[in-house]
Amino acid sequence: MKYNEMIERYIYAVTKNLTPKTRSDVAKELHSIISDMLDERCGDVLPTEHDVRVVLTELGKPAELSEKYNPDGGKYLIGGLYYTKYKLVLKIVLISVAFGMSLAGIITTIMEQNIWYIALAQWFGTVFSGLTFAFAFVTILFSFFYHKGIKIDTQSDSPDDLPPVPNEKTTISRWQPILGIVISVVFVVVFLVAPQIFCVLFTENGEFITVFNLETIRSTWYLIIFFAVLGIIRESVKLIDGRYTRRVMNVSIVTDLLSAALSFWWLTNKKIINPEFVRRMTELFIGEDEAIGRVFANFQYLFLGVIVFALVLDVITAIIKSLKYAENSENGIMHA
Amino acid sequence: MNYDEVVSGLILELRRGTLILLVLNQLKKPMYGYNLVKQLEESGIPIEANTLYPLMRRLESQGLLKSEWETGGAKPRKYYALTEDGSIVLERVKKHWYEFSENVNLLLEGREDEIQRND
Repeated sequence: MKYNEMIERYIYAVTKNLTPKTRSDVAKELHSIISDMLDERCGDVLPTEHDVRVVLTELGKPAELSEKYNPDGGKYLIGGLYYTKYKLVLKIVLISVAFGMSLAGIITTIMEQNIWYIALAQWFGTVFSGLTFAFAFVTILFSFFYHKGIKIDTQSDSPDDLPPVPNEKTTISRWQPILGIVISVVFVVVFLVAPQIFCVLFTENGEFITVFNLETIRSTWYLIIFFAVLGIIRESVKLIDGRYTRRVMNVSIVTDLLSAALSFWWLTNKKIINPEFVRRMTELFIGEDEAIGRVFANFQYLFLGVIVFALVLDVITAIIKSLKYAENSENGIMHA
Repeated sequence: MNYDEVVSGLILELRRGTLILLVLNQLKKPMYGYNLVKQLEESGIPIEANTLYPLMRRLESQGLLKSEWETGGAKPRKYYALTEDGSIVLERVKKHWYEFSENVNLLLEGREDEIQRND
């Protein structure tokens, strides 16, 4: 590995978990100090790889230096490096839950023509329990990541073992996981609180026919929440690592497989689609349009297909990009 | 008993606050980090770069130091200097240090009768 590459990797390892505000400044400062230390050691002679290794070792393990730079550092339930990301994810999840529940509440009130103050009281109850659950879940998740992550971070002691700086193709922008969390939380919340939002209005007698079997949806609430939980775990790991690491790949594979299995089981074993909806839709498309009617008769498979397609896409992206990133790091080591 | 370990632990605790006092004092005139490391080292106060840099950053966030990137030279360097608030704090801490260390020395030498009480 060229010595410049070793320095870049070291600086990246120290700064990757700092807040965006301090990251570039600390990186610049580290560049300047490493350069000063090399000058001190080598004088006018060009530094060798060995010199760089000595200087970086003198500066200390990246994870320890990173802790020192982090004002929140220390031993906590969720410590310094993970705390900023915990706050971000918590904010996103809580806002999404509140938003999704408000949306669901409004829909329910309009559709069921409830008395507004009773609806409001009910809404407060659901929002409160929803937010409490979301808060507890995100906190437990990140405290788990933190205590496990510390071990992973300090494993690479020598400057030679540091992971490479990701290029544009293997970096995960912050917005992607944020959007992922928002979508999965809002979707699940709406689905859970107001599944009647998915319905068809038959104009002849002005009645709403819901697509889903509301009772089944309500009785399988834990499966739906588990679906969101898997999504939040996957996106949080992406947010923490910020690049397609092996960890992101493994977590994506496991959570996506679980989600697919869960959707398969949920959609095929449970009577999730309202039989009334299937009957009415097939009635609607008779004769020439029979094919369309058949699509509605197998509506749960269509639904399953969309979900599985999205999950497969996610797994493939994660695998390809992680392998590319791993290849980068091997190339780096081969240069040495 | 592992004396070395206990002694170095105690020395670390003793040094922690003292180093902050020294860093503030030396930065009455602007200096970049590595310069300060060398200067302290030459004065018999070794400090590791990985301790000093985060420390200066923390003091800056407390408003005791200010910093500026100097890009004119061969390589960019971040100069730190004491702020006005910092110099007020420094003077007060220094005053405390003189009294405190004097009393500590008297006590350590068994001359407690010479300690002047402020009350």
